[in-house]
Amino acid sequence: MKLVINGQEKELECGNISELLSGLNLNKYAVAIELNKNIVHRQNFDNTQLKDNDKLEIVKVVGGG
Amino acid sequence: MDDKLKIEDFEFNSRLFIGTGKYENFDIMKKAHEAAGAEVVTVAIRRVDLNDKSDKSLMSFIDTNKIKILPNTAACFTADEAIRTARLAKAAGLPNWVKLEVIGDKKTLMPDNEETLKATKVLVKEGFTVLAYTNEDIVYAKKLEEAGAAAVMPLGAPIGSGQGILNPNNIKIILEQAKVPIIVDAGVGTASDATIAMELGADGVLLNTGVALAKDPVRMAKAMKSAIESGRDAFLAGRIPKKLYASASSPIGDTIK
Repeated sequence: MKLVINGQEKELECGNISELLSGLNLNKYAVAIELNKNIVHRQNFDNTQLKDNDKLEIVKVVGGG
Repeated sequence: MDDKLKIEDFEFNSRLFIGTGKYENFDIMKKAHEAAGAEVVTVAIRRVDLNDKSDKSLMSFIDTNKIKILPNTAACFTADEAIRTARLAKAAGLPNWVKLEVIGDKKTLMPDNEETLKATKVLVKEGFTVLAYTNEDIVYAKKLEEAGAAAVMPLGAPIGSGQGILNPNNIKIILEQAKVPIIVDAGVGTASDATIAMELGADGVLLNTGVALAKDPVRMAKAMKSAIESGRDAFLAGRIPKKLYASASSPIGDTIK
């Protein structure tokens, strides 16, 4: 399935957001996710199914002022 | 003496808000935060680098028992981007407040006040405690306050410039009229800059570069801490008015002839 993650096109096989994150080696407690411009809360990662051409933003906390 | 900084439901003993950016490494940052006596540190929200496997997490260097994390919306250029960033920060598990920063010009990093105001209205409605970064401009300070900003954060000078408090008169005017806490944000290059802000009556100072890029960040953090405490004390103590002529400290009469 084709996903656009942080502006990059990726070809990945995954059902829901939790599976996507483990496939990307990302800790679900260290990120926040926007799916097609809507926030997906952590408790919904398991039950949020992804589909072809979904656009995701996966962000984390970094240093800033 | 009880002299706490209160921003809506949040209360702090320290009036120094400090950043987490630009440090040589997270160990130095952590020591600087300790030396600053920081109770609030700012962070940014950025895309995860999907190709970077070395995941040294900033969060493990912040003692969240003592320190409250304030997410910023730095590098957002529209209200929409800033609103989405604030929502993402909340979804990441950070406290329900935000240093709202909407930039209007890449070179000076001057704020876009119109977009900031727009974002303030939306985020306040969503229940965020909004600390709005703005120019040292009384008109927008008032508008942001009316829109529900919990604190207004006028800049001392452009972000990262270390130029100090360029327009103390405008800051003073904002302080005289504000009903919410005023935190001077950006431009503080050295300890005396922070003291000047506090002597004017600012409720706090937010800074990053002045400490992070000092030769000895930990020592500069310590200097900033005492500078802010000194400035606060001087403000509360009430300075003497400036006079054109001298006024002797010792008795004028009864000297030997």
